[in-house]
Amino acid sequence: MNNKTVVLILAIVLMVGGAIFFLPSDEKKIRNNLDSLGEYCSTVKDEPLLDALQKVTFAAKLCTDPCKVHIESSQIDHEFGQKEITDRLLMLKKRLSNTTFSFEDTFVDIPGDNRAEVTTTLRLNGESVNGRFTDAYEIQISVEKQDGDWLFSSFTVVEFMKK
Amino acid sequence: MNTSREKTANLGLLNITPIFSDPIMPSSPIRRFFFPALTKRFFLRLLLLSLACYIIFGHILIPLRIQGMSMEPTYQDGSYALCWRLQFLLSPPKRFDVVTVRFSGRRVMLLKRVVALVGETVEFRNGLLYVNGNPVEEPYVHYRSDWQLPQRTVAPGHIYVVGDNRGTPMARHQFGEVNMNRIVGGVLP
Repeated sequence: MNNKTVVLILAIVLMVGGAIFFLPSDEKKIRNNLDSLGEYCSTVKDEPLLDALQKVTFAAKLCTDPCKVHIESSQIDHEFGQKEITDRLLMLKKRLSNTTFSFEDTFVDIPGDNRAEVTTTLRLNGESVNGRFTDAYEIQISVEKQDGDWLFSSFTVVEFMKK
Repeated sequence: MNTSREKTANLGLLNITPIFSDPIMPSSPIRRFFFPALTKRFFLRLLLLSLACYIIFGHILIPLRIQGMSMEPTYQDGSYALCWRLQFLLSPPKRFDVVTVRFSGRRVMLLKRVVALVGETVEFRNGLLYVNGNPVEEPYVHYRSDWQLPQRTVAPGHIYVVGDNRGTPMARHQFGEVNMNRIVGGVLP
């Protein structure tokens, strides 16, 4: 094997590796949407209303219409339309100023072409009316592919600790 | 040869000379430690050390940064600890052990204390913990409020965990029966 062959093989390996690394896969798209959702839901202190409104609109656009939310301990099992999601998120933003929403330990399972299941941990760090707080919840999210976009269709809080 | 070491000694000063500018020790052990020769052996040692660090601190002795006040005063908000994953390898958790409980992975975990084991009954009356109908002395609890929880029995394969800070309202405190497969390990120190 001469030098030219080695260089050629290396170039092919680099190109294939680069393509795998940089080309957006379905899993990467879902993870990016999740990061965006966290970013849009996060609040900064004294956030202008217009900015907040724009962010919650973007967040709602990442969800299907309607989108199901299930939180057993709060007896919430309801399908929310885009408008309702926007309103609820805006209310949440008002209540939790200077709060970071982030998703950690995210596992994406794509069993079908247009369907995926995500298990993740939502971590909240911020301030409420009662002072500083930190909280975490395990969440199962169903994701659907609609017109080429991966949209969140249901959120279920996994309550693994029973009082 | 008049070295810097001799100069300081002649002046009768404390013999404190900068290690790296000392011409007499170009290959001293300290210098070799900070500026090793980039040999094949060095890279092998570096690789093995990195691998050992990854295995130990990524899977066996996981560093924890504590956020929140649910385990105060035992573990303060902002302090550090280690999760010792092998603690329950041979024996199950015992009462009063502090354990880490995972969510979907190991990046975010809860720190809680085991208060009741399989088959035992647990309840809170006026903020006091009762196990099998008897009050339990908890010297680690400094803040207490009026928690009321009816009696329940810990199911097979589960343990009952609570945080040490009982000063917060019960509704805002994450505690309860948890499956053993959620327990990641014990906590050091």
